[in-house]
Amino acid sequence: MLQALVIDPQDNVANLVGAGARGAAVACRVEGQVEPVYVELCGDIPANHKFAFTDIKAGLPVVKYGLVIGRASADIPRGAHVHVHNIESNRCRGDRT
Amino acid sequence: MTDHFFGYPRPDGQVGIRNHVLLLSGTLYANSTCERVAHTVQNTIPIVHPLGRCQIAPDLAQTFRTLVGHGRHPNAGAVIVIDHFKEQGCTADEIAHEIAAAGKPVEVVNIRRDGGAISATAKATRLAVDLNRQINTQKRERSPLSKLVFGVNCGTSDVTSGLASNRCVGWVADRVIEAGGRVIAAETTEMFGGEELIKARAKTPEIADKILAFIAAMEKSILACGVDLRGSQPTGDNIEGGLSTIEEKALGAMKKWGTKPIVGAVGYAEPIGEESGLWVMDSPGHGGESITGIAAAGAQVMSFSTGGGHTINHPLMITMRLTGNRQSWAAMEETMEVDVSDMFQGTPLEVAGRRLLDEILAICNGRMTKAEALREWNGFAINRCGPSV
Repeated sequence: MLQALVIDPQDNVANLVGAGARGAAVACRVEGQVEPVYVELCGDIPANHKFAFTDIKAGLPVVKYGLVIGRASADIPRGAHVHVHNIESNRCRGDRT
Repeated sequence: MTDHFFGYPRPDGQVGIRNHVLLLSGTLYANSTCERVAHTVQNTIPIVHPLGRCQIAPDLAQTFRTLVGHGRHPNAGAVIVIDHFKEQGCTADEIAHEIAAAGKPVEVVNIRRDGGAISATAKATRLAVDLNRQINTQKRERSPLSKLVFGVNCGTSDVTSGLASNRCVGWVADRVIEAGGRVIAAETTEMFGGEELIKARAKTPEIADKILAFIAAMEKSILACGVDLRGSQPTGDNIEGGLSTIEEKALGAMKKWGTKPIVGAVGYAEPIGEESGLWVMDSPGHGGESITGIAAAGAQVMSFSTGGGHTINHPLMITMRLTGNRQSWAAMEETMEVDVSDMFQGTPLEVAGRRLLDEILAICNGRMTKAEALREWNGFAINRCGPSV
């Protein structure tokens, strides 16, 4: 079965190990927890990319390493690919000043 | 744990892991002379660059400081500074004067004064031969690991960097500090989003404030361009590798910092203090500029972790490349030394970290990196803080 890493228990994204196809089940190893959490991918995920470990509403923080890495720019359902198309940085947005 | 390496003690107390004759170009118009000598005389290392003139004062001072730091670098047993004619505030004589304070042999060649580029090449060639014969009888001596200054840097990062290779580098950084050594991290752009970690790690609030000021100044300079940082950072290869934002890239990059306290913060290419621990230098994320700043502070050896693979190496600070991405290892093994991708198959951090430490110690003791064997010099670049004028 596909594996993924949830680096911090507070994270709402998981990192896939290798690539995964829509519909595949993934065993997510959550740091500090013995039992894996299973998530079904709702889209294809390129090698080592992130997917949502929980539903993430547009505008809410995306959390990895236990810290905020940006915010969702769209609603992201659990199991969906998380990347530049649906999250954005909070830093150095000279386009917004 | 190994507590020593075999190096070349220098008069100023530093210990080199190589004993090269450095050919240091003072200005871009001496670059070709430096390179000609480097092609002719073995054990010479050329440092060439496009700077040294028509820079405003703070920028020129940064160039001067960077060049002096390289002349004083412990991996250089002797130095020849080569100049074109006469710069303003950055002459070969001034650079050599500062290097001489480190107690090593320093010579100056001036292309105009010495009769032109061909005559200067002949003079520098003779000097390089003589200096080689003068320094190459020095033997390696057992040196405590406390004499090691270990640089950490990363580039062409991907998701595997923060999960595997950077964690290994952090593990090694902790071991070096436990042995009394010093570690230098840099890359201010790759601290965006890591402010809370910095506050928690800094030995004093003043050190944290200094680093947070580096970050604020960098962010301000980017905002002043009136554009979105996206498009420049993360880079195209970062995004291909799964990194979505600068914050994600930064938090992965900071895994290289290990877990020990931050004992000091310095500006670009400034010397660090004597205290054992993690030192943080202000630098851009740009790999060449960042590693050049770290080299100027005297790090003998560097770990450069990469996701997509890399050819980067510094000419004087011996640069060991590693990756945690198996596909990148397969594609780029010719210019990388260590593969830690087995961490994704369950190899513990301690095992992969030990592999890295063993390679670093072997390199300190004389094992060539692939870049050294290939005589590749892809990583020297001096950061600018002002326009050309």
